[in-house]
Amino acid sequence: MRSTLRTLLGLMAVLVLALGAAACGGDDDDEKGGDTGGTPAAQSSGGIAKVNLTSFPDYMDPALAYTLEGWNSLWTVYTPLVSYKHEEGAAGAELIPGLAEALPEISNGGKTYTLKLRDGLKYSDGKPVKASDFEHTIKRVLNLESGGSAFYLGIEGAEEYVKKGRAKGDISGIETDDATGEITINLKEPDGSFQYVLGMDFAGIVPSDTPFENMTKNPPPGVGPFMIENMKQNRSFQLRKNPNFPQIEGIPEAKLDGVDVTIVKNQQRQTQDVIQNKVDWILDPPPPDQLRTVKSQYADRFEEYVTNSTYYFFMNERVKPFDDENVRKAVNFAIDKRALARLFGGLLEPGCNFLPPGMQGYEKIEDCPYGDPNAAPNVEEARRLIKEAGVDGTKVSVYGNDEDPSKPVAEYLADALNDIGFKAEPKIVEASVYFTTIGNQKTKAQIGFANWFQDFPHPRNFMFLVDGDSIQNTNNQNFGNVDDPEVNKLLDEANANANLDEAAPQYAEADRLLVEKAHIAPYGHRKLANFVSENVDFENCTLTHPVYELDLTQLCLTSGAS
Amino acid sequence: MAATDPVTTKLPDVGGVLEEVSAAETPAGTSPWRLATRRLRRNKVALAFGLLFVLLVLSALAAPIWANNVADTGPNKTHLTDTIKLDGKDVNVVEFDGVPIGPQGFKADGKYFLGADGSGRDVMVRLLYGARNSLFIGITASIITVLLAVTLGLLAGYYRKWVDAVISRGLDVLWAFPVLLLGIALGVSLSLGGLNLGFTTVQGNSLWIPTLIIGFVSIVYLARPIRGQVLSLREKEFIEAARAQGASDGRIMFRELLPNMMSTILVFVPILVANAILLEAALSFLGAGVRPPNPSWGTMIADGIKLLVTSPHLTIVPGGMLVLTVLSLNVFGDGVRDALDPRATIKLDQ
Amino acid sequence: MTAFIVRRLIAMVLVLFAVSVLVFLIFNVIPNGNPEDRMAGKQATPLVIEQIKKEWGFDKPLYTQYGKMMQKLFSGQLISQTNRVNVTEEIKRGLPRTLALAIGAALLWFATGVALGLFTAVRAGQWSDRLVTVLAIIGISMPVFWLGALARNYLGYEWGIFPNGGYTEIGEEGLWQWFYHLLLPWIVLATLFIGVYSRVVRSTVLDTINDDYVRTARAKGLAERRVLVRHVLRNSLIPVVTLWGLDFGLVLGGGAILTETVFDLQGVGQYFAESIGRLDVPPVLAVTMYGAFFVVVFNTLVDIVYAALDPRIRLS
Repeated sequence: MRSTLRTLLGLMAVLVLALGAAACGGDDDDEKGGDTGGTPAAQSSGGIAKVNLTSFPDYMDPALAYTLEGWNSLWTVYTPLVSYKHEEGAAGAELIPGLAEALPEISNGGKTYTLKLRDGLKYSDGKPVKASDFEHTIKRVLNLESGGSAFYLGIEGAEEYVKKGRAKGDISGIETDDATGEITINLKEPDGSFQYVLGMDFAGIVPSDTPFENMTKNPPPGVGPFMIENMKQNRSFQLRKNPNFPQIEGIPEAKLDGVDVTIVKNQQRQTQDVIQNKVDWILDPPPPDQLRTVKSQYADRFEEYVTNSTYYFFMNERVKPFDDENVRKAVNFAIDKRALARLFGGLLEPGCNFLPPGMQGYEKIEDCPYGDPNAAPNVEEARRLIKEAGVDGTKVSVYGNDEDPSKPVAEYLADALNDIGFKAEPKIVEASVYFTTIGNQKTKAQIGFANWFQDFPHPRNFMFLVDGDSIQNTNNQNFGNVDDPEVNKLLDEANANANLDEAAPQYAEADRLLVEKAHIAPYGHRKLANFVSENVDFENCTLTHPVYELDLTQLCLTSGAS
Repeated sequence: MAATDPVTTKLPDVGGVLEEVSAAETPAGTSPWRLATRRLRRNKVALAFGLLFVLLVLSALAAPIWANNVADTGPNKTHLTDTIKLDGKDVNVVEFDGVPIGPQGFKADGKYFLGADGSGRDVMVRLLYGARNSLFIGITASIITVLLAVTLGLLAGYYRKWVDAVISRGLDVLWAFPVLLLGIALGVSLSLGGLNLGFTTVQGNSLWIPTLIIGFVSIVYLARPIRGQVLSLREKEFIEAARAQGASDGRIMFRELLPNMMSTILVFVPILVANAILLEAALSFLGAGVRPPNPSWGTMIADGIKLLVTSPHLTIVPGGMLVLTVLSLNVFGDGVRDALDPRATIKLDQ
Repeated sequence: MTAFIVRRLIAMVLVLFAVSVLVFLIFNVIPNGNPEDRMAGKQATPLVIEQIKKEWGFDKPLYTQYGKMMQKLFSGQLISQTNRVNVTEEIKRGLPRTLALAIGAALLWFATGVALGLFTAVRAGQWSDRLVTVLAIIGISMPVFWLGALARNYLGYEWGIFPNGGYTEIGEEGLWQWFYHLLLPWIVLATLFIGVYSRVVRSTVLDTINDDYVRTARAKGLAERRVLVRHVLRNSLIPVVTLWGLDFGLVLGGGAILTETVFDLQGVGQYFAESIGRLDVPPVLAVTMYGAFFVVVFNTLVDIVYAALDPRIRLS
C-alpha cells in the first residue's frame, strides 16, 4: 500500500507542475496556429485545399453512399456512364455523356437503353475499364441492399437477382460486350427519369473485381478527376489528382493537386478555422450562432444559394381531420413563412411551390393561393375554415424529429395550429427513425415536418413524394397519402416521357394542383452557403453545382494569399 | 460518473460540514428526532438553503401568475415575428437571422424579462414552467426510488436466503450498468414505443418516462445501505421480541424495522432529489430526457448551448437555476445528515 | 483467497452476461419499429426490406439473434447497422481518447481532492476551510456538460486561452498539443470529483486525527507535519483510494460521455451517444458491455484488495 501511495503522490506532484506549466504557456498556440494554418502561398494553380465536413460520409463506397457528404466527394472520383456538366444553375443540371460515348439511345417504347463505352478508359490504378464493369457496379448496388437499390429495380431481372440473394447471379436486363464496349439495358416499364438514374453516383463505374461488401475503408479505383487516398474512417481522407484521368468533354481536370477532407463535428470550430484561414471550405454553412458575424465581417468570401430542396408539412389524408380539403387549406393559411425562415437562421427561401426553383418544370405560382409567402399569414381565414369544418378543438399530434430545424419547426406548427382552434402537441421522434415512423401506416401520423433534397435534377424525384402510386404500408415516402386522380394521371404521363422538355409543363401543372388543392403545405427551399478562406479564389473558383453543391474539382487557391 | 453521480461517491462521506454544530449537551430523555430537529435548527446556513429550495418550489408553482399577469404568454407560445416597444422603437423579438433578444428586465413591462429563445418564447416563463417539470421529475423520481429501494432492501435483508440472493444479484447488475448509458438507452427506446405498464400506457413524450427511468436507475444507491441495515437490525432484541409475540413478517418489516431506518432514508432524500435533477439535465442534453412540448431546465440548456455565442442567456439562465437548486439541496442535505448523525458533531468537537 | 477471487470472477462474468441480455432486450422488445425498415433508407421497396431482414437475420427468433450478436462481438466481427463499420475497431480507436481523458482527470481530481481535503481538515472551522467547502459543494452541484460548454465557449472560443474542443493525436501534432487539448476537459471532468474527494478526505482525516495512535505519535514529540503525513493521511487514504478505484471504473465505463461530447473528443462515450441517436444496436450493445466491464472489473479489484486487507470479508 505504501508504494502505491507514494506513486500516487508523485503523480500528483507531476500533474500540479504540469498544470502550472500549461497555464503559463497557454497563449503561444496562436502563433503556432498562424504558422501551420494557411495553405502555402504563391501557387497560381495546384496546391492542396483543406476542407471540413461535420460528419463523415455515410459510406465512401459509390454503391452505398446516399448523403451529400458522400456525393460531394464521390462524384469527383467515380464517373457513371452519364454525368453532369460542371457548371452552375440550370446548365449544371444538364446530362452529358460520362464514360459512355454519347447519351443513351432509347428504343422499344422507352424500355431499352443502349450505350457504348468510350475507348481506352483507365481506372486510377491504370487498369482498363470494361463494359461488364457496369453490370458489376449495378449488382453491387442491388446485392448490398444499398439505399439506392430501389432506383435500379426497374431493370428487367433486377428483382429476381435480389431475391436470389446471390452476388454472382445475373441481371437479365443488362447485356454488355467487353469487345465492342456496348451496353444494353432493358427496363420493365418506360421510365422518363432513367437517364438520370444512370447518372447517379450509385452507378459510378467500379472494376469487376470489387468485392460485394462495404469498401469504405479501402475505396475501389474509379474514373474521375480525383482519387481517394489515406482513408481514415470517421476521421479524414484525401482526394488526389488522378494521373490516369482521360480527356472527357464536359468533365474538366481538377484544378488542385488535391483536397484534404477532415471531419470536425464542431461547426463553430469549422467556421472559426475558415475565418482564420486554417480551413479553405466547409460543406455546412456556418451555424446560426456565427452567421451574423460571418455575413457582416466576411461578406467578401461568403455567398448563400438556394438548393433544389423543399421543406413542407405533410397532412395525412387518410386520417381525420386532414381528410378535409378545407382543413388542409386552413393549415396553409395559418403558417407564417417569415416565422419559419427565422427558424432556419434566415437560410430559407420562402415559397409556395412544391417543386424547387432550380428544377426543370418549376413554374412559380404567382399569387400564392394562401397569400404572399413574405407577408403575415391570414389567420382569420384559417380560423373561419376550421370552424366551418367543425373541427375546432380536435386533438392533433404534430410530428417532427429531434434535429434542427425540424424540432423548432414542429413546435412552431403546433403553436400555429393551436392558434386556429386545434389542440395540437408536438411529437418529437428520434431523427434516425423519424421517416420510417411517419412512413408507417400504423403510426397514422396526422401532420408534420418533411423535406426533400433532390437525388437528381428531374421533377419525378420530387413528385414521387405525392404520387398515389408510391403509397406503401411501410417506408412510405408519401407521408400524406396524397392520392389525387388528376395529379396521378398527369404524373403517369409525364413520368413515362423521356423528353423532359415535353414533360415539364405537366409537372408544373401537377405542382399547381397540389398546392391549390392543399395536398401539402410547402413553405420554402433551403439555402446553403459557401464560406471559404482568403486563400480561395472566391470569384472564379467556387462553382456551386445544382446536384453536388461546391465542385471540388473547380476549387482553386489564389496566388499570394497570405 | 460525471455530473450525475455524486451519490455513489458520497456514500462514505459522513463528515464534511458547512456549519459545525456545537456539541449539544444532550439532555437525557429527549427523543433522537427532537434532538435532530434542534441541531438542524441551529444550522443557519443549512436552514437558509432549505428555505431557498422552498422558495424555488413556490416560484415554480407560481409560474402561471407570472405567465398570465406579467409576461402575458405561455411557455410554448412562439413569437417569431412579434415586435416589442423598447424606448419607443419597435424591436424584433427574433431577428431575421434567428437571433433572439436578450434579457430585458422590466424595460418591456416584464415581457421577455430574461429574453426570448430561438423560437421567440419567453425565457422567464419557460424557466418557471421548466422548474415545475424539473422539480417534478426530481421529487417524484426520488419518491419512486425510495419506495422501490426500501421495499427491495427490506425484503432482501429480512428474508435473506434466495430472496436476498435474487435481489442482490439484480442490484449487482444494475450497479454494473453505467448509469448514464442505461438511462440513455431506456430513454431513447421508451420514448419511441411508450411504456406499457399493463394497466396503463405511458406516452413516449410523457414526463413520466424520464421520471420512471431516473427513479429506477437510482435504486442501487439506497437499496444496498438499507439491506445492510436490515441485516444488522433483524438480529436485535426488539425484533426478536416482536417475533416472539407472534407479529407477522409484514408487521415486523414495516412497523419495527422501517421506523429505525427513517434517518438513513431522510439523509438520502435531498441528495437523491439533487441527483435526479442533474440526471434529468444530462439525459435531456443527450436527447433522451424530457420531450417537447414540456420545457425543463435540461432541455432549455441543451437548446441554448447551440446559441451560446449570440445568446448566452439561453444557457446561463436555466443552468444557473439548476445549479442553485442542486446547491440548495446539497447544503440542506448536509445539514440534515449532520443533524441526524451525532457522530459528526462529536467528531468536530475538539 | 484463490477461492474468493474465483468466486468474484464468476460473478463478474454472470453480471456481464445479464447486462448484455438487458441491453439487447431494451432495444428488441420495446416496440420501436424494425431495424430493417431503418436500414432500407429513403427509397425502400418491400423487396429490399425483405432481403435485408433475411440477410441480417432479423427474421430469426430473438435468442438466435442475441447469440449471433454475442458471437460476432467476441470474434471482433460485429458490424454496425447504419454504416456497416466494424464496431470493435471503432471502440479500439476511441479507447485511447477515453483513457487519456479518464486517467488525466482521475489523477487530477485525486491529487487536488486529497490536497484540499488535507488543507481543510487541518484548518477545520477557519474561514479558509469554509470557503473551500463552499466551492466544493458548488462543484458538486454543476452539470458537467453545462460547465464544459461554458468553459469551452469562453475559455476556448471567445478568449482563446484553450483550444475550442477537439482531440489531437500525439503522433500527429505532438505531445504538447495533445496535452493542451485535453487540459480543459480534464479540469471540467475533475471539478465534480474534486468537490466530493476533498470532503471525503476532510472527514476521514478528521476521523483519524483524534485516534489514540495519532495522539500517541504526537505525544512522542513527532513533528506535526510528520504526524499528518505518516499517520493520519496514510490511514485515512485507504477508503479514498477504494473510492477512487470505483469512480475511475465508472468514468471509463461511460461516465465521461458528457465531457467527451461537449469537447468533441471522439472517445468511446461519444461513439455511444452517436450510435444511440441512430438506434444502432450493435455498437450500443458493445459499448455498454465495454462500460460494464470496466465498472465490474474495478469493483472486483476493489473487493479483492479489501479482502486481502481484511480476511473477515472473504467468509461472508
